[in-house]
Amino acid sequence: MLATLAFWAFSGVAIASAFMVVIARNPVRSVLFLILAFFSAAGLFVLLGAEFLAMLLIVVYVGAVAVLFLFVVMMLDIDFAELKQGFLSYLPLGGAFALVLAALLAMTVATWQASDQAQSLRAAAMPDGMSNIEALGTVIYDQYVYFFQAAGLVLLVAMIGAIVLTLRHKDGVKRQSVTAQVGRDRKEAIEMLDIKPGQGIGE
Amino acid sequence: MEIGLGHYLAVAAVLFTIGVFGIFVNRKNVIILLMSVELILLSVNVNLVAFSAFLGDLAGQVFALFVLTVAAAEAAVGLAILVVYFRNRGDISVEGVNLMKG
Amino acid sequence: MTADMLSQDLSLLIPELLLAGGAMALLMLGVFMKGEGANKLVQWLAVVLLAGAGLASLFLVTGEGQAFDGGFIFDGLARFSKVAIGVVAAIALLLAMPYLKAEKLGKIEYSVLMTLAVTGMFMMVSANDLISMYMGIELQSLSLYVLAAFNRDSLRASEAGLKYFVLGALSSGLLLYGSSLVYGFAGATGFNEIAIAVQSGPSVGLTFGLVFVICGLAFKVSAAPFHMWTPDVYEGAPTPVTAFFATAPKMAAIVLLARVLIEPFGGMVEQWRDVIWIVAVLSMGIGAFGALTQTNIKRLMAYSSISNMGYALVAIASASQTGLWALLVYMILYMIGVIGSFGAILSMRTREGMVEQISDLAGIAQRNPGLGWSITALMFSIGGLPFMVGFFGKFFVVFAAVQEGMLILAVLAVLFSVVGAAYYLRVVKTVWFDEGEVEFVPAAVSVYWVTRLAGLATVLLLPVIGWLVFRAYSVGLATL
Repeated sequence: MLATLAFWAFSGVAIASAFMVVIARNPVRSVLFLILAFFSAAGLFVLLGAEFLAMLLIVVYVGAVAVLFLFVVMMLDIDFAELKQGFLSYLPLGGAFALVLAALLAMTVATWQASDQAQSLRAAAMPDGMSNIEALGTVIYDQYVYFFQAAGLVLLVAMIGAIVLTLRHKDGVKRQSVTAQVGRDRKEAIEMLDIKPGQGIGE
Repeated sequence: MEIGLGHYLAVAAVLFTIGVFGIFVNRKNVIILLMSVELILLSVNVNLVAFSAFLGDLAGQVFALFVLTVAAAEAAVGLAILVVYFRNRGDISVEGVNLMKG
Repeated sequence: MTADMLSQDLSLLIPELLLAGGAMALLMLGVFMKGEGANKLVQWLAVVLLAGAGLASLFLVTGEGQAFDGGFIFDGLARFSKVAIGVVAAIALLLAMPYLKAEKLGKIEYSVLMTLAVTGMFMMVSANDLISMYMGIELQSLSLYVLAAFNRDSLRASEAGLKYFVLGALSSGLLLYGSSLVYGFAGATGFNEIAIAVQSGPSVGLTFGLVFVICGLAFKVSAAPFHMWTPDVYEGAPTPVTAFFATAPKMAAIVLLARVLIEPFGGMVEQWRDVIWIVAVLSMGIGAFGALTQTNIKRLMAYSSISNMGYALVAIASASQTGLWALLVYMILYMIGVIGSFGAILSMRTREGMVEQISDLAGIAQRNPGLGWSITALMFSIGGLPFMVGFFGKFFVVFAAVQEGMLILAVLAVLFSVVGAAYYLRVVKTVWFDEGEVEFVPAAVSVYWVTRLAGLATVLLLPVIGWLVFRAYSVGLATL
């Protein structure tokens, strides 16, 4: 009973906030609604028994991706009112297309029928008596290690790409030199002076 | 009422439709376009996890895990390109430009 | 997974391991070496690496089979495609070197990203699982988005990158939604398992999933009606990047599409043939008619690649051994023509900088006969005019369609190729008969030789074609 209620609550909030993402006037609100949608989807994941992915969704998506979005929205000085122009003129076509798509997908979902061999074809059946994260760990680093390595390469490309596109080296800027800092010894740092009383350092 | 696979698939289908709708109506605003793509990927993840739970198979969750990873990488690259574009142009509307005709 | 199994699996992955490890080594080399010399060294090493990885799949990988629980497959198709992709990517990088130097874009990241993109393409042509398909596509696409925007101070390049990214991300979304439905139907993501599940009869959900997957992949091969990004991205991206876009990624995506349709979904030919039929006809039509009004040669090449992908899809639609064979021959001949043409486009440099209008080529044959002859041969070949190798590429494709009884498709393909010939002839007419005085500076060595050799290849490869026909006839592929 509680699970049923939770499902309706989470899915209701997810859908409502997803809708707000695309129609909100201000992109900052869109990002915040996106975060809410991710949180509710994480709730759905918990109901489905995928705790690890639920936590990942919150940590990776809310913690990194959504914050990145927020950062870019705030960093770029954007005229929001101008961007909303044309929204209304696209609405009829977009709405009609969305309705057709929704009808087609409704048909798909309503008549959903998995293959009768789906059970026997499973490649990684869920093991009994193992927590979700443990079960995922046993397959990711074994059966699916190839994909895991590929994911590493994808992240490497993202890193190189973001750096090569946005990093600018400015000339004439003083930078920290760690080696020079660490390599500094007492001889270069301090000078011992023998100061006579009443004369000061000056000549 | 018992919550079954169909319910989750319906939620995912609605999220997917909203994402596609968002791309249609926000053609000028690249930031919202990127967020709509994130919604589509979220709907895919709901689909994958739901199938995984009801089939009792881990592959769906593994797939969703990689989709999450790649989506994060994609967001980073996309926002980097957006920042570069903004530096060159001064705003982020895609359609007003027409340096190149569509 | 034991160590034995792992080393056996890895022996099939030698080309990918070379590329991935090489890319990281080049990145380190570029980071720790400074100066212009470092960039040059990294570029040359990357050329060797790309070509070497292609050849490694020919010589170093001895076995064939599947690895990693069916996630990776190495077969004849993968071997052939990898050799072609590796070699053509190396040539594309050779073409890029003088351009990058002249435009002050010489950063080591260009070579590294290209190497990683090719790693993604290798994964695509060897994908045997929905997850490896997706990871390969994304590794490739993310690198290409960055390469398109590589000239970050140019508004046109960054706009090209942005358009390519938004539409590419959307297409990945469609592909994934389709994949999730297919997974839900089959209960597994491996192509082997999906092929078994498909046998048990199609369902609405599976058909939908397949349609979404086809949409996502059609986007990657820039087939109509998912071609909108192509002209803008081709025009906006730096020219050597466009040369790369038009060749290796197309090969990888079309081979992946062929594998997906024929292996896991082979049992649903009747369902997907109609979809591919429509996409093929639309691509050939839009490519042929769209090109007629273009004045920018890079946009012309974009429409040309849309229509050429249409012909490749005709070969896939025939869904036969002959069709697959015709597809591979067609793609090789297409890539030779395109890489040569981009060599010619890269030769269009005046003292002020690059020019890319077709009118700038006016009368170039009188001032620079070598370039004039090369462009003529290349245009005739891509246009499929009789008795250049490109003609035989189109001929085999149409032949495969006729063999499967798809006469309407075959007739349409011939008609559109007649329309298409018009704009290739227009370029040739401009080159030989128009008056013009745009003077090009002498082309760089690599650009010069790629253009000339590709131009020669369109004629000199004719005996090879003859041998191929003989082979095909003798193994029984060529009977009607």
